[in-house]
Amino acid sequence: MDNNPHKPHFIRPCTRIWLALMILTCTTYAIGETAWSGTAVMLAVLGTAVIKVQMVANYFMGLRRTRWLWRGIVLGWLLLVSSLITVAYLMTVK
Amino acid sequence: MLNNTKTSHEIHATPPGDLAIWFFIFAELLAFGVFFVAYAFARAHNVELFNESQQHLNRTSGAINTLVLITSSYFMVRAVAAIKQGLSNLCTQWIAAAIGLGFVFLAIKMVEFHEIFSAGISLSTNTFYMFYLSLTIFHFMHVILGMVILAAVMLKAKSGGYSAENHTGVETGASYWHMVDLLWIILFPLVYVIR
Repeated sequence: MDNNPHKPHFIRPCTRIWLALMILTCTTYAIGETAWSGTAVMLAVLGTAVIKVQMVANYFMGLRRTRWLWRGIVLGWLLLVSSLITVAYLMTVK
Repeated sequence: MLNNTKTSHEIHATPPGDLAIWFFIFAELLAFGVFFVAYAFARAHNVELFNESQQHLNRTSGAINTLVLITSSYFMVRAVAAIKQGLSNLCTQWIAAAIGLGFVFLAIKMVEFHEIFSAGISLSTNTFYMFYLSLTIFHFMHVILGMVILAAVMLKAKSGGYSAENHTGVETGASYWHMVDLLWIILFPLVYVIR
């Protein structure tokens, strides 16, 4: 019996992240191809993008293995930009 | 970068690669962030115009380009993992594959630009197209710069310039390339999908 705690998984963690990013991108595209619109749809699409950016920053760029300062800069930028985009969108909702 | 070794569980004081590239990355994020927010507030004052103009964009090519850039970024994760194991040839091949997908992105984008310009659309057509063309051309130039950086890293990797102990250059190039991917991940839904 192999008790090595560091034995690689069948699918690498980075490959799982890549697959998740591909699925989320296809979801965004599918939403774009429908006639759906409105605040809930906008929040879903923007929220998906925020999750994808965090996945790239933490897992592809390797920020999840660095001090909070570095992750915080990217996360702070992301939350500020996405919040301002949301505010701008909500200004148009009657 | 992700790998399956014990060292991947350590917390590092600085991000992967040369620290200087990270200040450059943060400056780029700031510039694009201002651009994204400016687009959103410009849209708030011209909702009908933006929604109508957006319908003429090729959303399919935008989505394919997102998949292409994400996959290219994934190839660079594999390149870094390879060089951390001292596999220079494998690292070179992953970088070459990442650059190849960079060319695919550029080709698809050029077809899209050709369609737009053939329809007589330019920066001065309306506010939406001013933002669309400015943002995508600005990003397009970053893709080219990223490919140049990756090509330089690939040539050095091919000549055995990196090793399991010394691979900062590969991580530096990969970090920049991931940023190019990250920016497109926001640009695509913002300009092509949200209405």
